Amino acid sequence: MSHEIFMPALSSTMTEGKIVEWLKNPGDKVERGESVLVVESDKADMDVESFQDGYLAAVLMPAGSTAPVGETIGLIVENEDEIASVQEQNKGSQLEVSSSDQLELVSNKTEEKLVDHNEIIEKEEKEEKAVVLKSEKPAPSFNSDQISAATSNVSSRVIASPRAKKLASQMGVDLAKVYGSGPHGRIQADDILKANGQPVSIPWIGEGGSPASITGANLQVESKPEKSGNSFGNPGETVQFNTLQKAVNKNMESSLDVPCFRVGYSINTDKLDNFYKKVKQNGVTMTALLVKAVAKTLKKHPQVNSSFSENGISYPENINIAVAVAMEDGGLITPVLKEPCNTDLFELSREWKDLVKRSRLKQLEPDEYSTGTFTLSNLGMFGVDRFDAILPPGTGAILAIASSKPTVVANSDGSISVKKIMQVNLTADHRVIYGADGASFLKDLASLIENEPETLVS
Amino acid sequence: MVNRTAIIKQPDKISFFNDVYKLQKEYQEALILDNSKPDFIWIGEHQLCYTLGRGSNYDNLLFSLNDDKYDVFKIDRGGEVTCHMPGQLVTYLVLDLKNFNKDLNWYLRKIEEIIIKILGNFNIDCHSRKGFTGVWKGNKKIASIGIGCKRWVTINGFSINIDCELENFNKIVPCGIENCLMTNMIDYNKNFNIQEVKRIVKKIIQEELNFDFVSK
Repeated sequence: MSHEIFMPALSSTMTEGKIVEWLKNPGDKVERGESVLVVESDKADMDVESFQDGYLAAVLMPAGSTAPVGETIGLIVENEDEIASVQEQNKGSQLEVSSSDQLELVSNKTEEKLVDHNEIIEKEEKEEKAVVLKSEKPAPSFNSDQISAATSNVSSRVIASPRAKKLASQMGVDLAKVYGSGPHGRIQADDILKANGQPVSIPWIGEGGSPASITGANLQVESKPEKSGNSFGNPGETVQFNTLQKAVNKNMESSLDVPCFRVGYSINTDKLDNFYKKVKQNGVTMTALLVKAVAKTLKKHPQVNSSFSENGISYPENINIAVAVAMEDGGLITPVLKEPCNTDLFELSREWKDLVKRSRLKQLEPDEYSTGTFTLSNLGMFGVDRFDAILPPGTGAILAIASSKPTVVANSDGSISVKKIMQVNLTADHRVIYGADGASFLKDLASLIENEPETLVS
Repeated sequence: MVNRTAIIKQPDKISFFNDVYKLQKEYQEALILDNSKPDFIWIGEHQLCYTLGRGSNYDNLLFSLNDDKYDVFKIDRGGEVTCHMPGQLVTYLVLDLKNFNKDLNWYLRKIEEIIIKILGNFNIDCHSRKGFTGVWKGNKKIASIGIGCKRWVTINGFSINIDCELENFNKIVPCGIENCLMTNMIDYNKNFNIQEVKRIVKKIIQEELNFDFVSK
């Protein structure tokens, strides 16, 4: 599995950076925390470190070149024997960096990503791009054989998601006999369940969600008749709560002692969607964008980040955003992105992906899910119009985010237009946060998302 | 902004470049490994030497690297070649920017602001120039900036020409800017000495970055 090295944002105004020097050569061993390259912006230079033990497999942008913030500039692999294959896949990248990036997204990421409807759509989009490349760009550095090898080598061997492999071995299902419904015939967990004659559950989790880019995706998801809702038991049974469900129940019940109010806002996401399209290929997730927007707005509205305590209104030192993630086997957890204002969007997206991955594996440390000062709950990926969320204990507010949908809007000048509108709904503890506090927070959040989403980069 | 403790060193003697560079590296490494360690500030002068940033173009050195007459160091900072010598006050700041602002552009602009205030203290009215980091008096450069950063812990800093042999800059293309003219503070105000400048540098850094200093 390869890990990308991105062009970091050295400042809030930086859009691109110059690679001064690669301190490591392809094939060199790198340790976590070791400097791999130097990036310069103006008179300041910064060591870029490896976040991973492994080997530098490929340098996609040579020293002296300039790359946009967030661009993949190198690849690190975990094992020495992966170097050759990654280098093979990235052949010609020095000449055609931008196009090889697209190929890479198709060929490498398939293995590591999690199963999620949106992501399947995303992959299909990428696949299309790769195909376009093939027909439009008979570039000298590629021949069409190479491209099809990079995109379709999956057909020659059995490709299955890690969860599918695990399920197959648990259930004794022969992978070779299973039809893969994923991209390039990749076998998904659902395919194994189906092959074994079991009901298929939608793996659902509050991530991957672009509330915005889903409209098409929803149609496709909904047209799949075999998908059914989540259930932890069979008809007629009563199933004991698991530990996580019990913990959630306790938290939810404690909200009954809190005098909450709700306030909603409709936000136009046209600009945000456009910005997301641009940065998505650099690994940015919609969750990271929303977290960043909320954190930046909270900075201006410390009251909405406060909470009730016996001694009075408690103002936390930090802004830490918890995001609700539903667990497949019941319950939910709220991984925390700490101080998003101090982390650039790309790093934040990586942190989020890592948190989600480790939530599923139940590997989060307590301070990674219990230190939130404000919570986000996003059900946009299901296409919901609106919902309200229950306030988690120890915090003052939670924001419920619904799907962004094309909506006919009457403008102030009397004209009519179609805009993507996303409804958000704030639930807040009225002992510390008043209606006006919540409303002005939402107004500024909407203004940030509607007018200057590009400032969310850093 | 929180109050921070910084260790400050301001030797009266001329210091060898390499010794101070090593010292900075030690403080930087310590801060990277343990962010409770103090920041470090060094204010002093060097013997004549030339330093290059990691991205520097060697063409801007107008003498041969094999020439033993000149000490040349390649160091981890941004920017092109520059020159240090007695009569030029050098300030190094090893700061954990995580406690200030994780933004190198902010940091460069902050350093310019600090230098402009220092010079203002001596009634020398200077300015920054967009796209040309450093501090300028008219079209002449009076202070240069070059910094490096690892995990948001900075190294290197700025130098102010007080009363130095500007001819030494003729052997390089300073900061990679052709026909870049350099100037000295002494050309605009003769009523001060380098010790006073050191005191003011310390005072303004303390005010601007909110430091409690500990001398060591």
